[in-house]
Amino acid sequence: MARLRFSLHNSRTRLVLLSMVLSALLTATVLALVYVTATRSINGETRSVVSAELTGLADEYERRGLIGLMTAIERRLPSASERDALYLLTDRFGNVLAGNLARWPEGVTPGSGWTELELRKTETNEMVPVSAASIRLRGGERLLVGRDALARQQFDRVLFHSVALALGAALALSILTGWLLTRLVFSRLRDIADTADSIMSGDLTQRMPQRGTGDEFDQVSATLNTMLDRIEDLVNNLRTTSNSIAHDLRSPLSRLRQRVEALGDSHRNDSEREADTARATAEIDHILRVLAQLTEISRAEAGLGREQFEQVDLRQLVGDAVELYEPVAADLGIRLEIEGSASPIPGHRPLLSQALSNLLENALRYAPEGSAITITLRDDGPFAELGVRDQGPGVPEEDLPRLALPFVTLDPARSERGAGLGLALVAAIARMHHGSFLARNRNPGLETTLRLARQPA
Amino acid sequence: MSRRLLIVEDDEDTRDFIAKGFAEEGYAIETAANGRDGLYHATDGGFDAIVLDRMLPELDGLALVKSLRAAGIKTPVLMLTAMSAVDERVKGLRAGADDYLVKPFSFQELHARIEALLRRPQESEETPTLRCRDLEMNLLTRKVTRNGREITLTPREFQILEFFLRRKNRVVSRTMLLEGVWDYHFDPNTNVVDVHISKLRKQLDEPGEAPLIETVRGAGYMMSDGTA
Repeated sequence: MARLRFSLHNSRTRLVLLSMVLSALLTATVLALVYVTATRSINGETRSVVSAELTGLADEYERRGLIGLMTAIERRLPSASERDALYLLTDRFGNVLAGNLARWPEGVTPGSGWTELELRKTETNEMVPVSAASIRLRGGERLLVGRDALARQQFDRVLFHSVALALGAALALSILTGWLLTRLVFSRLRDIADTADSIMSGDLTQRMPQRGTGDEFDQVSATLNTMLDRIEDLVNNLRTTSNSIAHDLRSPLSRLRQRVEALGDSHRNDSEREADTARATAEIDHILRVLAQLTEISRAEAGLGREQFEQVDLRQLVGDAVELYEPVAADLGIRLEIEGSASPIPGHRPLLSQALSNLLENALRYAPEGSAITITLRDDGPFAELGVRDQGPGVPEEDLPRLALPFVTLDPARSERGAGLGLALVAAIARMHHGSFLARNRNPGLETTLRLARQPA
Repeated sequence: MSRRLLIVEDDEDTRDFIAKGFAEEGYAIETAANGRDGLYHATDGGFDAIVLDRMLPELDGLALVKSLRAAGIKTPVLMLTAMSAVDERVKGLRAGADDYLVKPFSFQELHARIEALLRRPQESEETPTLRCRDLEMNLLTRKVTRNGREITLTPREFQILEFFLRRKNRVVSRTMLLEGVWDYHFDPNTNVVDVHISKLRKQLDEPGEAPLIETVRGAGYMMSDGTA
C-alpha cells in the first residue's frame, strides 16, 4: 500500500478542502446578511430624515413664504456639512436661491421621489454621491434635500474590507483545524496501513497498534487483531496440516511401493503374494481414509451440510451410540454410563453421531480395564453440552490445547488406522454447530466436551 | 435366465472393472458412458438393476435417478459416489436411489449390494416366519428358536438376525449392517460390527452346532442354508 501523501485524490486533501469551502461559505453568508441588513437600515434612516426635513421646509414655505424658506435653509447650512446634508432651492427657471449645491442637477424632475446623483458641492468644489428627494413648491420654485452618500460608501468599503479579512481568517482557520483533525485521523490510519503492510510481507505476528484511549480506532484495531489472531491460527494449522499431510502420506505410500515391488518378484509364492496384496490394499485404505477425513473436516469447517440440520434428541443420539459400542466396551471390561439430559438441538444427525463415536473410540483406547466411561448431558445457557469422561491417564496439561489439531497424536505407539484426525473432526463439527470443543483433565481421566448451540445462529 | 444390469459410468477403467466382474458372475451387461445415454437405456427398460455413477457428463446421476422415478420406472438403482462426505452420501438416497456405495469400493461389496437389491421385491411378500436351516424367526411373536430351543435376543440382536435372514445366502458387508441396522453413514475405526456379530453368534450357536453366520473374508458375513 502506498504511503499517504498530498494529492487531490487523497481523502485528506479532499477533507481539508471541503472544510475550507464550507467555512468560507458560512462566513460569507453571515457577513452578507450583516451587510444587507445594515445598508437597509442606514438607507431607511436617511430617507426618513430627508423626507422629514423636506416636509418641515415645505411647511416653512407655506407659513413664511419664499423668504422665510430661504432663511430657514441658510440657517441650516452651517451645520450641514457635519450632517452630510445637502440643500438646494431654485426659482422656477433653475437659478439658485439658497443651498450648498452649485446648480439644479440635470435630469431630476422635482417631485419624482428618490434619486441617486453625483453632484458638485459648493463648499468644497468636489463631486459627491448624493441620495436626494425633491418637490416643486406652489410658486414654481424647486426644493431639493439630500444626504451625501459618501459616508455610506465609506461604510460599505469598511464592511467589504472586514468581510475579506474575516473570510481570509476563516479560511486559514479551517485549513488549520482540518489539517489538525485529519492529521490525527490519518496518523491512526497510517499506523494501521503500515501494520497491514508488514503483515502482508509475511510477518503474521504483527498486531494493529492500540493507544489505550478506547476510541473508535482502538475498537477497530481490537476487532482487526481478533481477526488476525484467528487468521494466524488458521494459517498455522494449515501449514501444520499440509506439512503433516506430506509427512503422513509418505510413510504409507512408501510401504505401498515396497508391497507393489514385492508383488513383481517372480520368486514369491501365491500365499506371499496374497499377503502382499492384502497389505497394499490396507495401505491404500489408510490413505483414502485420511483424505476422506480431511475432506470431512474442511466441509464441516466451511459449514457445508448446515442446510440438513434437523432437531436432534441428544439423549437418543447418545443412547444409540452407547448401544453400538457397549459390546466393544464389554470386551475391554469397560462400562458405559449415561448421566443427565439435554434439550434437543438443531444439528446434523449423522455428523453428530460421527463426533460422538470419535470421542467414544478415543475414550475406549485409554480407559483402563474395569473402569467406566461416563457420558454426561447437560444444558448450559445457550449451549447443550455433551461430555465423555474416561478414567484413563489423562493428557499432559501442556498438550491439551494441541489435542484437537489435525495430525496431532499424543500416543507414540499410534495404531495403524489413527492419523490424528478424529478429534480435529470433532472440533470442526462443534464449530459447524456454532459451538466449541474442549478437553480437560479430571484427575483421573480426560473429559472431552462438545458444546453445541441450542438455537440456530 | 441371466439377470440384466445397466452400468452408467464415465470412467472407462471403472466401467470395465465393474462390467468384467458382473460378466464373470453371469450377468448380461449393458454400459453407458454419459448420463443421457444412461437415461435412454434405462427408460428402454428390461434391466433388473442399474449401477449409476453420481457424477456424469451431460446429465448427472442425481438428475438421472430423479427423471427415472418421475417416469415411474422402479428399477433398483445403486449409486456410486466419489464424495465420501457424510452429508453427501445420503443425497442419492433422497433423490430416489435404492442404495449407494462410496468410491473406491471392492467388487465384492458392490456385488453383495446388487444381489441384495435384486432380491428386494421378494422381501416385500410378508411372511410371518423366516427360516435358515434349523433356525426359525417368528416376526409376529418375535420368537426365535433353533433346533426347538428358544433363544432370547435383545431388540438389536433381533434386528441384526432379521437383516441376515432377509438376505439369506448373500454376502452382507459391515457397512451394509451399519447403514441398515444402525443407520450410521460413516465408518467407525473400531471393529464394532464384528463384536456385535460375535455376540450374536454366541447366542445362536450352542457348542457343537454349525455356526449360522459365516465370515466371508474381505467382504463381510453371510448366513446360508447350504442350498446356494
